[in-house]
Amino acid sequence: MATLKAIRRRISSVKSTQQITRAMKLVSAARLRRAQEALLNARPYHETLKRVADSLLGSAPEAMAPAENARRVALILVVTSDRALCGGYNANLLRMAEETARRSAAAGLEPKFFAIGRKSLDHFRRTHAALDGDRINNTPRLATVGLARDLAAKVIGDFRTGAIAEAGVVYSAFRSAISQRPTYDKLLPVEAPQPAADGAAAPATDYTIEPSAAELMPVVMRSYVEASIFHALLEGEASEHGARMTAMDSATNNAVEMIARLTLEMNRARQAQITRELMDIVGGAEALRG
Amino acid sequence: MADTFQFKLVTPTGVLFDGAVEQVTAVGALGEFGVLPLHTNFITSLVPGILTLKISGTSFTEYLVAGGLAEVKDGVMTVLALEAEPPSKVDRAAAAGSVAAVEQRLSQMSMFDPGYEDAAQALAVARVRAQVDQLLRAPH
Repeated sequence: MATLKAIRRRISSVKSTQQITRAMKLVSAARLRRAQEALLNARPYHETLKRVADSLLGSAPEAMAPAENARRVALILVVTSDRALCGGYNANLLRMAEETARRSAAAGLEPKFFAIGRKSLDHFRRTHAALDGDRINNTPRLATVGLARDLAAKVIGDFRTGAIAEAGVVYSAFRSAISQRPTYDKLLPVEAPQPAADGAAAPATDYTIEPSAAELMPVVMRSYVEASIFHALLEGEASEHGARMTAMDSATNNAVEMIARLTLEMNRARQAQITRELMDIVGGAEALRG
Repeated sequence: MADTFQFKLVTPTGVLFDGAVEQVTAVGALGEFGVLPLHTNFITSLVPGILTLKISGTSFTEYLVAGGLAEVKDGVMTVLALEAEPPSKVDRAAAAGSVAAVEQRLSQMSMFDPGYEDAAQALAVARVRAQVDQLLRAPH
């Protein structure tokens, strides 16, 4: 049985871990609130842009077709976190990324990853996957318009020059603090909206387009890709904090449980020691009397 | 005839304006244009410039818009701006500095460099920011 001293040391170590996990949980909760707010604020932009892009797509479908003789490459952006201690968040995303890559390969496209966040970069380096670039150390905020703009510029640039034939993004869709779902969204080529189930296509708006559909389309698509990436980053950021909050909450609970168990063990050990000492005294007294 | 129409100014970080206006003036790819109630369905791209909202009679609100799209659909106008800010929040001095910096960068690029378009866009935005006071249209 462990000595009393060893158990005491163990308890104080678990206590300090508990303090850290509790602090991390509080920090994540605050960041989650902020990220959720940003997600909500970005929604009208993304939705309006999607509607406009969909209704324009009919007017100039050729504007966003892949370049002729484009290389059969699918670029997959993977949005993960820079830091660990967020449960299965990154592992789930990376599994989704690998799955997406397999699907692309099955469709005859060579998959290439673009790592956003240190965790995906480390993973793809370890597995020697085809890596096209990375953006790590996205602190203090992951979801910035600037980052989305840079990524969109790269994706659209590669698409126009024919370096890639397809682009998509793997991110974690935020549903609640305890539920995040890894998701794959195709960014390019943009597909015409599917007609509704009852066969009635969404009514296309008859716009006067200035200067012309062919000239306007690249602007719309650029904004659309930018907004989609920004949306993925926002979802990812909220999911990361949600996942970390949940992970740290259960870590804190585990620590509480462990402290209770160790305290019990410590009391038993102490009682055993007292009993042993008493026995010694009684034994000694008996010996003296005899 | 309707006196006002619904107008929305939306950016990636939030909705900046959502309400009834009498007239909107903006700078599109083909130049400055105005929108009044009952405008036809219409869509155009915006270049960096000032967006002026005439709320009523003599009350105006202005925003600096860093490009984007403007749409009129069924009597509702929506501006999807890459960035937008009220003129009072524009840092004129910083903008003047970045005009010089971007001009410097552009002078070393060729038209075919991958970052050329972005730099040209950044320059246009910085120029509008630096000269925001001269560009405001509303009577003060």
